[in-house]
Amino acid sequence: MIEVAQLAKRFKLAKSFKLSDAEKSDPRLYDGHFHSVVDVSFGCDKGEVLGLLGPNGAGKTTTLRMLSTALSPDNGAIVVGGIDVIKKPLLARKKIGFLSGSTGLYGRLSARENVEYFGRLHGMGEVELKDKVDELFELLDIHGFANRRAENLSTGMKQKTSIARAVVHNPEVVVLDEPTTGLDIMATQTVMQFIQGLKAAGTPVIFSTHHLEEVQLLCDKVCIIDQGKDCFNGTIETLLASSGANNLNQAFLNVLSSSITPTLEQDIKEQRQDVASL
Amino acid sequence: MWQVYKKELLELVRDRKTLFFVIALPLVIFPVIFALMGGVMASAQLEEEKKIHRYVIVGAQYAPEFAEDLFYHKSFEQVESTLSEASQLDEAQLIAEIKQGAFDMVIIIPAEYVEQQQNNSRSYWRVIFNDASLSDRLYGRISALVNKHSTAQRKAKLAAIGLSDEQQAGVINPITLVKVDTADTRENLGEKVGGFIPYLLIPLCLVGAVYPAIDLGAGEKERGTLETLLLTPVPRTMLVLGKFAAILTTSLLSALLTVSSMGFWAFIMGSMLDLTPVKMAFGSIGAFDLGLIFALLLPLACIFASVVLAISIYARSFKEAQNYMAPLNILTFLPIAMALVPGISLNSTTAMVPVMNVALAIKEIVKGTVDYQQVALIFLSQAVLAVVVIGFSIRWFNKESVLFR
Repeated sequence: MIEVAQLAKRFKLAKSFKLSDAEKSDPRLYDGHFHSVVDVSFGCDKGEVLGLLGPNGAGKTTTLRMLSTALSPDNGAIVVGGIDVIKKPLLARKKIGFLSGSTGLYGRLSARENVEYFGRLHGMGEVELKDKVDELFELLDIHGFANRRAENLSTGMKQKTSIARAVVHNPEVVVLDEPTTGLDIMATQTVMQFIQGLKAAGTPVIFSTHHLEEVQLLCDKVCIIDQGKDCFNGTIETLLASSGANNLNQAFLNVLSSSITPTLEQDIKEQRQDVASL
Repeated sequence: MWQVYKKELLELVRDRKTLFFVIALPLVIFPVIFALMGGVMASAQLEEEKKIHRYVIVGAQYAPEFAEDLFYHKSFEQVESTLSEASQLDEAQLIAEIKQGAFDMVIIIPAEYVEQQQNNSRSYWRVIFNDASLSDRLYGRISALVNKHSTAQRKAKLAAIGLSDEQQAGVINPITLVKVDTADTRENLGEKVGGFIPYLLIPLCLVGAVYPAIDLGAGEKERGTLETLLLTPVPRTMLVLGKFAAILTTSLLSALLTVSSMGFWAFIMGSMLDLTPVKMAFGSIGAFDLGLIFALLLPLACIFASVVLAISIYARSFKEAQNYMAPLNILTFLPIAMALVPGISLNSTTAMVPVMNVALAIKEIVKGTVDYQQVALIFLSQAVLAVVVIGFSIRWFNKESVLFR
């Protein structure tokens, strides 16, 4: 359903950009660019939930932004439901629902107006849109505040509205970037239930998180990224077995400690050659 | 694009800051400011009219008619002083007393005045007062009295040598230039006030565009809604055009409301005051001329809307966008001011200079002397520039380095 292969993305650094000492020592910084994602591959089939894990700055958000078409990759391929995301981004956007913890709502529009606006931008007809919005509002218990302006909603209410907005167009794939960051227990519960609902409906879900208990509860597979490169791809059972750990936290740390690979430098060199050949 | 446009306008209408800048400012604030200014000025003028200047006259006995006129003038009140005799004159002390507020003015008539009159030689009278605190009104009043006295003296002398009133006028002004103006009232008034109309209209187009543009570009980035918008299957060109159309609407609406508001208040004030020449002049500006003025503003508003949108898209935050847009005011006022410089007129070169060309054309339209070929040239140059800047905005809206700075 979703196939991501050898993704790479770099960002040009402005001359005025000041780097911290830690950033200066990052091996992904060379040629006046920061190579945020060097080589990431994973796949997610129907009804599967894939957890994208990694420390801060590993390249998770950049990977998901490429998947959602917000950013164009410098290298690699993304196929969603048979559509090449890089070649046909407009078509791919109809198939993808994206939600991020950092994305906001239009404060001066009501919850209903926010969701309806995005439904219309996805080309939905008025009757179809109304039915879908009512269905989602029922499912997410939004009716009580549907006509309240978003700027007056609580964090949990906003997150419910954001979820409805992300899936109003019936996407075939849902991508979530740290959707529970900064949320209270109730709002987190809403997001978790939403993901479980999608999974039950057979929709593939990819989400990034720092909360491993969420991964334990929801994910069928995980992809761990470190320094822009995937260092584990597989099921949770395989992760536990291959890392020799008896819990997910330890397994995660074991993978990261062994991921400071000599191959990273090799990957970067190859990447340099790829860029030079362009 | 239509969906984006509708949503942006809905959000702007619900925003108090936009309502203030686009609707309240032109409709309420400007008339209130003008009314307050008028009220304060009228009150100050009334106060000045009522003001009585306390004076000391030195040498009154040499010009008794003048001293009497001054004594009975409603705006002057004589103050007795020990220094009122020319023989006791101590000018430094008089100045000190004026500074202390003992009186406002001293007029000194020299002791030689009578002799000077007899010899037909000029006499110099001195008036000492604080020119800064009482402005020209005191000086104007005393000058009028002295002139009256001077004229009476001259007439008496000329009559004594047998000159009639008409002959006296011929002696005093042997040649008088009679002006025959080929310009009609409209052209005359247009030349004088036509240059100031762009000062009002053009900056308002900019003001009406700036705040909504910041909200729709940098504001979206700051609120975290831009990324979500970019993930919809709407081409980015359409997203930019939708936002651009919303900004253009507020820009033109702001100018239109201001002109309507000013027109309304001008009508109210005009009906209270006798402004017949002004009414006649502006009465000759037809609906076509007004339509042409607004038509000229359209491509200019397009340029403003696309420039501020491009800046807003580039800025990372609301505050950054405000900082970037601050110099736009100067860049707008400068060409409008240049259009007021004598000698600069609308021609095929100035028709190519943005903002200045519209300012010059509006002036010509108000004067009734506009060259429609030049107007066409302005339309063309403005339209080309507007398309280029819109294209630039669209290009920026497609650049990751700009969107995700």
